Amino acid sequence: MISLSGFWRLFAFLSWPTPALVAMVVLSAAVLIAGPRVLLRALGVRRARIVAPVARIVAAVFGLWFASGLLVRLVAPKADPLYDTWRIVSLSPLPAPVIAALSVVAAVMAFLARGSLRGDSMGPRRRLATMLRVAVALALVLLVTEPGRRLLQTTRIKNRVALLLDKSASMGFPEKPGGDSRAQAVASFLSRSSSDLSRLAQRFTLEFYGFDRDVEPIDSARIADPLDAKGGRTDILGAVRSVAANGASAGRKLSGVILLSDGTDNVELHEGLTSKAKDALSDLGAPVDTIAVGSGGLRDLAIERVAVEDFAFVRNTVTVEAIIKAHGIPAQTIDVVLRREGRLVATTPVQLNWNKDTYSAKFSFIPDQTGQFVYTVAAPIFPEEAVTTNNARSFVLKVIRDRVRVLFVVGHPSWDERFIRGLLRQDPNVDLISFFILRSSGNNPKVMREDELSLIPFPVNEIFREQLHTFDLVILQNFAHRDRAYEMDRYLPDMRDYVHEGGALVMIGGENAFGEGKYQDTPLGDALPVEGTGQAPTTENFQARLTPEGRRHPVTQAALSAGEAERVWADMPPLSGINVTRAKPGAQVLLEDPFLNVDGKNAPVVAVWDYGRGRVMAVTADSSWHWAFPALASGSAVRPYDRFWGNAIRWLVRDPQLTPVRLQADKAAVEPGDAISATVSAHGSDYGPAPGAQISVELVDADQGRTVARNQVTAGPDGNARVEFTPPAPGPYRIVAHATKGETPLGDAEDAVAVRAAGPELSDASPRPELLKAISDATGGRSVELDKASLLDLPLVDPEVVEVGQRRDEPLWDRWYSLAIIAGAVGLEWLLRRRWGFI
Amino acid sequence: LPALNRRQFLKAAAGTAILVPGARAFAFGDESRFRPAIVQHGGNWNARPTALRRLCWEVAGRTSIEVYPEARPFDPEDRELFYFPFAYLGGEGAFPPLTEAAVTNLRRYLTYGGFILADANDGSDGDGLDASFRREMARILPGNQLTHLSQDHVVFKSYYLLDHHAGRLLVRPYLEAAMLGARAAVVYSHNDLAGAWARDEQGDWEFEVSPGGEAQRETAFRTGVNLVMYAMCLDYKEDAVHVPFIMKRRR
Repeated sequence: MISLSGFWRLFAFLSWPTPALVAMVVLSAAVLIAGPRVLLRALGVRRARIVAPVARIVAAVFGLWFASGLLVRLVAPKADPLYDTWRIVSLSPLPAPVIAALSVVAAVMAFLARGSLRGDSMGPRRRLATMLRVAVALALVLLVTEPGRRLLQTTRIKNRVALLLDKSASMGFPEKPGGDSRAQAVASFLSRSSSDLSRLAQRFTLEFYGFDRDVEPIDSARIADPLDAKGGRTDILGAVRSVAANGASAGRKLSGVILLSDGTDNVELHEGLTSKAKDALSDLGAPVDTIAVGSGGLRDLAIERVAVEDFAFVRNTVTVEAIIKAHGIPAQTIDVVLRREGRLVATTPVQLNWNKDTYSAKFSFIPDQTGQFVYTVAAPIFPEEAVTTNNARSFVLKVIRDRVRVLFVVGHPSWDERFIRGLLRQDPNVDLISFFILRSSGNNPKVMREDELSLIPFPVNEIFREQLHTFDLVILQNFAHRDRAYEMDRYLPDMRDYVHEGGALVMIGGENAFGEGKYQDTPLGDALPVEGTGQAPTTENFQARLTPEGRRHPVTQAALSAGEAERVWADMPPLSGINVTRAKPGAQVLLEDPFLNVDGKNAPVVAVWDYGRGRVMAVTADSSWHWAFPALASGSAVRPYDRFWGNAIRWLVRDPQLTPVRLQADKAAVEPGDAISATVSAHGSDYGPAPGAQISVELVDADQGRTVARNQVTAGPDGNARVEFTPPAPGPYRIVAHATKGETPLGDAEDAVAVRAAGPELSDASPRPELLKAISDATGGRSVELDKASLLDLPLVDPEVVEVGQRRDEPLWDRWYSLAIIAGAVGLEWLLRRRWGFI
Repeated sequence: LPALNRRQFLKAAAGTAILVPGARAFAFGDESRFRPAIVQHGGNWNARPTALRRLCWEVAGRTSIEVYPEARPFDPEDRELFYFPFAYLGGEGAFPPLTEAAVTNLRRYLTYGGFILADANDGSDGDGLDASFRREMARILPGNQLTHLSQDHVVFKSYYLLDHHAGRLLVRPYLEAAMLGARAAVVYSHNDLAGAWARDEQGDWEFEVSPGGEAQRETAFRTGVNLVMYAMCLDYKEDAVHVPFIMKRRR
């Protein structure tokens, strides 16, 4: 027989022979008709009056039950290979309200039949007649409802259960000290559980996945082989989401996820199970059962992460916090060090205790140079550590200026000084430190006591030796280094070295500057782009003229466009005399005296050059303030003087926006095994893109200072080029680019990149069973340790999905016996009523 | 303070002779030196013709500021005034209203960085030069009225540490100023500073100073030196490096 479904299963156990069922129905009817009280008395049961109604109800329930079973037996279809289940349905074309109304009519009819026998004292007769009338009414209802048998062809779809196996690198560590790897332990467990898996497979479709940062399916035949644990990250939430989504499109429900992992998540659940992650997990609607792999005991000291801003301000304190994890390391004090490209920056002792595994090491230091640098926090390596590459962690710090710190040293207060100071003081990007010599040795202020004056001693040693390196720019205006009062000669070598090492210098003309100040005989003279000629300063007024180099150079861009800048310079008020100098080879003359010839060239008014890593500008006039104040006499809104000095300062301190070649690494820190890539932008001397520029790029080991790789690229139409280096060994690197266009060098640029020794996966490889438990708790799953796990004990959602393929309806009411029952019941009732004299 | 003796006078005279240039108008660097301009208003604008030269002489002798001591008179309409960022406006008695062009020029001069020292040579207060100057200031800087210059202002510590102000007279013991931002663009004295500075060809002071005598004259010079220093160095003495020294000395 075809199996029953749904409600009809209630009768499925009625496998008694049909005659027995008929006998039970007849017995129940007899009890109801004869009246149980009579029977009970005959059987000698006391208190029959009380027991009888109960017996009647029992007889009615059993009678109906057996009658229904008999009916099912009668209507059940024969076995059919096409259909696997069936149900009773109504085949009537009448709408449901009509059927309901007719049924009500039938019930009323049965009730009236009972009423017509009210006067009869013979209880059994009345009950028999009532039963017959009810049978007639039921038969009529059958006729109306047209019951049918619906044969169904169904398919059962099993729900999915996903087994997620961690294959991140941390699974390569021993499961227990000296034991197999965690991945091996998982493989052994699955091998042991093959019969459990087979039993699960009967109820569910089992899917096997390996995961690390990504998820990929695993052949179920190969699950007993240990996975190749090399993944650089563990993303549990991502993996769970991914497998849940996999089957959703196929309409297959997920009954649960069984996760076998050490729990070393380092993506979304790195900080633990956040409320957002909890919500994501509970949205799955299926339990995530977790089997925790690894039981601790790992011996490892790791710099798990380093907390530091991406950039810092030069000469301002930077704080770096390293989070250190220690497992199995004896209690002791260790020295954690911070290095900048091989140079020790700071050391912090950390006390390890037996009852703690997370520590913090804080470092404070003051970067004294702008640029990008690779810093490394390193802890000592202990014998038998599981991972030694995680004992150091590198990061790149971009050191920038908050404000340009300018030292302004003036030999005599003058109008030139007045307008430069006024300009620099109002520039919010400039931190101005001024020293003006207000009284020289020949002056007599006519005071009884020095404290009648506001003068302070000139702190020569402090500013030119101790603090010199803290300045981005030094401006010397008509400053006499030969004045014995402050013995400047002692400090001139320091100043030259300061410029050579990356500082910036401006010398402004006057009777104590350049040749007149005998600077060419001093070490600082080496740093100047011009040298004195021995010729006396000129006194004639002249209009400074922009040179071809000046037209392109950012310093002399006194207006937004080059053409306008030329016009602005041509309209400038005249200057009155200059220190007569000649430009040194390599210097760029930006403005010149059109009337004064020195060695066949016009005498420079503004000249610039790079000296070592620093930059220098010479202004040979002492009346550049004419560009500031008389230039505005007409009320012009153009402020060429402000623009000139603004440009000059930005160029002198190497504002990144004014460098012709720029280099930007894609990532400041590269995980082990990843390539280093960068974009180089080349600009011409006019600061426009330089397409076709030849760019040679070197990868330099910043610790050792040696080049480890070279690359040659050509700039595209936008002046940009991409460069990539194959993954180098861990450590700090500098990428150095040098661009040329034809024979002309365009400039250099560099950036820093840290290649990490240990990726996040190995930064802390200790198992996190508490995270796995939290995941299970959040989803209604169960978390167990690998040793104690049994797949069959894990809670999984168990509904089956049934789909209907084909169906066939067979009417039941038009059988001969249904008509025979109606005719028989009506005839018998009529016969009895007539016999009993009711008709 | 000691009065000048004969030897000092001779030295001063010699210094003056050296400082006053001969045939050549400018040497290299002269353009950046301190050389005052005098505003030629329509009244008696040159009541103290020797005063500024004497002030320049004192500035050169007392400080490292290099001077070109011949003050240059200017029509206030003249744009050449912009080559002289320090201008002196003095006089005795009222003067007629400035032309509109002069007002515009002076406004621009002050706005872009010029400095005017106004000095009531007649010691007037509510009349005379005082009334005319206030009238013109209301036109030149309409939104920036003259106010009492606080004793904390950097003018009082730009070279000498001063706690009071006086000129030939002591009409008002304070200075007034018109501020443009943090900068005092115009400083005004009621006390005839130039009267205290003026010295004739023979080396004699042209005016008696009252009520404080020679000490008051020295105060006038110190005020003048501080004003010149302020015009050239702005708020230099308010830089952080100077503050502890000055506070210690003022204590």
